[in-house]
Amino acid sequence: MDIVYIVVNIVIFLAFAPLFEGIVRKLTAKVQSRQGPPVIQPYYDIIKLLGKENFIVGNWAFTLAPLMSFAAIISVICFVPLGYKANFLTQYADVITIIYLLTLGGVSILLGALSSKNTFAMMGASREMVTMIMVEPVLAMTFFVGAVKVKSLGIDATIFSVMNTGYSWAVVLMMALYLMALQAFVGKQPFDIAEAEQEILEGPFIEYSGPNYALFKYSMMLKQMFYASLFVMVFVPFLYTGVYALDIAIQLCEIALVYVLIALVGATNPRLRIDQAVKYYAVLIVLALSAVGLSVYGI
Amino acid sequence: MNSLDKVLKTLQDKFGAGITGHASPLPTRLFINIKAENVREISNEVVALGGRYLVGIGHDNIARDGNIGMIHTFGFDKDNFIVHLNAAVPGSNPVMPSITPDIPGAGWSEREYQDLLGMKFEGHPKPKRLVVADDWPADIFPMRKEVPYNMVPPAAEDVAYQLDECPEGCSIIPVGPFHTALHEPEHFAVYVDGETIKGCDYRGFMTHRGIEKLCESQVSYNEVPFIAERICGICGSVHATAYSQAVEMAGGIPVPKRAEYIRSLLLEIERLHSHLLWLGVAGHLIGFDTVFMQSWRVRENIMWLSERITGNRKTYGMVIVGGVRRDITPEIGEDILKVCAKVEEEVKIIHKSITGDTALHKRTKGVGYLSKEEAIKWSLVGPVARARGIDIDVRRDHPYAAYSELQFNVPVVDTCDVWGTLVVRLLEIYESISLVRQIIAKMPKGEILTELSEEIPPLKHGISVVEAPRGESVHFVITGEENRPDRWRVRAPTYPNLQAIPAMLLNDQFADFPIIVGSIDPCFSCTDRVEVVNVTSGKKRIMSKSEIEFISRGNR
Amino acid sequence: MWLTSKIKQVLMVIKPGVVTLNYPFEKRPVPENFRGAPYWDHEKCIGCGGCANHCPARTILVRDICQEIRVMVYDGSRCTYCGRCADVCPEKAITMTDRYELATDDRQDLNESMELFMLTCQRCGRCYDMENVNMIDRMDLQGYRYDNIEARTFIRKTTDRFDPEMLKKTADYKRPSKIGE
Ligand code: SF4
Ligand code: SF4
Repeated sequence: MDIVYIVVNIVIFLAFAPLFEGIVRKLTAKVQSRQGPPVIQPYYDIIKLLGKENFIVGNWAFTLAPLMSFAAIISVICFVPLGYKANFLTQYADVITIIYLLTLGGVSILLGALSSKNTFAMMGASREMVTMIMVEPVLAMTFFVGAVKVKSLGIDATIFSVMNTGYSWAVVLMMALYLMALQAFVGKQPFDIAEAEQEILEGPFIEYSGPNYALFKYSMMLKQMFYASLFVMVFVPFLYTGVYALDIAIQLCEIALVYVLIALVGATNPRLRIDQAVKYYAVLIVLALSAVGLSVYGI
Repeated sequence: MNSLDKVLKTLQDKFGAGITGHASPLPTRLFINIKAENVREISNEVVALGGRYLVGIGHDNIARDGNIGMIHTFGFDKDNFIVHLNAAVPGSNPVMPSITPDIPGAGWSEREYQDLLGMKFEGHPKPKRLVVADDWPADIFPMRKEVPYNMVPPAAEDVAYQLDECPEGCSIIPVGPFHTALHEPEHFAVYVDGETIKGCDYRGFMTHRGIEKLCESQVSYNEVPFIAERICGICGSVHATAYSQAVEMAGGIPVPKRAEYIRSLLLEIERLHSHLLWLGVAGHLIGFDTVFMQSWRVRENIMWLSERITGNRKTYGMVIVGGVRRDITPEIGEDILKVCAKVEEEVKIIHKSITGDTALHKRTKGVGYLSKEEAIKWSLVGPVARARGIDIDVRRDHPYAAYSELQFNVPVVDTCDVWGTLVVRLLEIYESISLVRQIIAKMPKGEILTELSEEIPPLKHGISVVEAPRGESVHFVITGEENRPDRWRVRAPTYPNLQAIPAMLLNDQFADFPIIVGSIDPCFSCTDRVEVVNVTSGKKRIMSKSEIEFISRGNR
Repeated sequence: MWLTSKIKQVLMVIKPGVVTLNYPFEKRPVPENFRGAPYWDHEKCIGCGGCANHCPARTILVRDICQEIRVMVYDGSRCTYCGRCADVCPEKAITMTDRYELATDDRQDLNESMELFMLTCQRCGRCYDMENVNMIDRMDLQGYRYDNIEARTFIRKTTDRFDPEMLKKTADYKRPSKIGE
């Protein structure tokens, strides 16, 4: 029966990720005095892309990359304790696995970009790599703050650390840092540097089309939803009712709120340059380290 | 203070035999005939006296006296006059010294006539092709009179432009011909080291429509304004006005006062439109789409207004030789004031919300730096120059239309970067609004059009400069016999500004490329007017079109 | 500073709200002076060719297929909607309509052609002359041109063949006030 939770996880993520993307687009449109596309536009986009011609302009790695990226993010999603219900898979992995899998998603983008040999894709790949190296630590520290608190690297233990042991200064600092890094996690302005449509034309994805691109797009959306849900689960676990379905519904609402924030920040910021972004990330990393330090001392 | 007499006298004293004649049809214009071999020294002297290089005009006179003429024009901004150095070289051997080594702003003008008229400029530092297509036959010069306007020589596939040598250790990023940051097809080869730009070569003129040639061989005087308007989608009225003024100057056609006011009104409305458009595009180029959408929303009011005044949202079609076509009725006058008030209020809101935004500062301050001295050397114009502390504005320096009777400030800042151009443009929006109000208040009654009842005498020269939103547009007209110009030369503001782009890009980040190119508000189609080009070169290895198609279909 | 700017940017939208229209279903009305697609009223047109001579896009073609029948073709695919034709028409036969949704998959939809029955001058064999005081216009009108309707283009003859003597002679030529006089 345990498998049901995993299926529910995957189904909910697959079903809602495009919707949240649609909400972001709609909200951005409203801030820009536009009507905006219908909220379900991202579903249409994916369906449309799936029906389009699939240009392969690289070697086997080019075809493998989107599959790998999609598979990686789906695996991550399996571990997510949606509805505050840890499923049986969590005992076979810890937070390091999640970080690895997320990195794998990033690496597959690199792989696809490099095998396409496009100048813009290369440039996008190098930016993507820098971003990955600089923001993954912030994610890792988020887990470690919890892990130090509960003295375990287990996924459920770490994620529920705040729920179980309450807030501390370290957690509050980490929460602020997570929010500051959120745009970089989800790749929206001001940190959509790797894609930067006006400079390098969607960067790593420039050569992708059709179903391959749809997979990439979908995995990006899933990734965004994962980061948003992680924030909800780790830092704001108040509305815990104990009823599984209700918990999921509440969480989805909270995730939607996080998306509203993402949309508003995204709509009011220009894109940063990679050198400026790196400086910003560096500050984040240092602060995140100090949060872990605080946590070690139990503050 | 300079004066025409003083300039003339200085030149005559210095180069006695080099000066073969002079004329001054208007108190603000001086035509000097010089010997071709002295052109370099004389131009240097004119620049030393305070002249700013405007444009070079080559014209084919072979049918009349066997010569090809080259006219270099210089504006004296402090003293409101324009000096023309008129040199001629025999059509059989059109060689003259280049003035580019001393005046880099002349580089393109000379390259243009190298392509179009087959002239040779000795000592030109970069005598590459500029205008005609790479596969255009080397011995056909399209601007020569014997070449028909609709000639299409057979195309060759595998001829491609040789880009400049890439600096050591850099890789080439091809930007364009089609790229989201460029709204028109142009090709920049950007040499980058990591993300830092180390150089740039430009191959443009891909949207040449042959407008100058067309108008010199097909249509008549009063149809040219409509075609001139289509040189640029944004500053259409500027080109129509500049052309009309040049013809009016050449033919001595009086323009009614009311028409002049209406022309100024249109120019100011166009400036409002253009600056708001630029603000939006600049926002878009740095990935800030909210600024884009909001300033375009405000711009919509202007579009609405121009639709009421002229019958169309853009390409107003109002200006013709001798005046304007439609009058401003009192009701429309009220509409204009209403829209002005609204736009002013909304622009203030946008202004307030973005000037303090540090995220925006990060992307624009210190970006695209070019010092004042460099900017003068490259003869930058318009807001790009005014952001670099150069106090020029043709509306004030060489007043035309109704500007001599209106009061306005010319905002100048000296940050020398993209932020400066943004500030200058925002401030100019307020100036334009105040100008529109003054025009409505002061507009005299009367006629709006002088009918052309006399034939315009041939071979008269007329030049007019008009401050377009991006800088000054220079139009030069030599009248012809067949009720159409014999030579019509357009120099859009992007022409000098674009030449300085490589200098601005140097040592900036590649991510800043779009906004730096965007900061001059480039209008490539204004710059490109003459022939059809097709370039398919991209990287070092140059591919043919079919080859690219082949590999892009996945057959490696 | 940064935060207040952000807040201002978000609040900026509140007053105007959403301004884009649900376009194909909701249309913005055009003003009365709008320059849409021109429309020729064949009842008013006298076939003077003034519009054809002033069209900057050269998209109005005139061809006399026989002594009495003059065909005029307007090819909208090249029209710039400048409204110059409507300005110069002496009979006000052209109106600039308010039509602007002109996209079509058939070029013919944009064309308008008229066959006009012309009376010709017994002396010169031409349809008639304009009482146009504008020298430039008159010169233009009398430079002969050959309009190729099939190819939608015209070939203009240059002054080499143009006789200035004839221009002088026709300078004060008046159109007969009554036909048949
Ligand atoms: S509107 Fe202008 S372009 Fe169109 S037919 Fe009339 S004159 Fe020609
Ligand atoms: S100008 Fe008017 S009357 Fe003359 S041909 Fe054209 S439509 Fe007919």
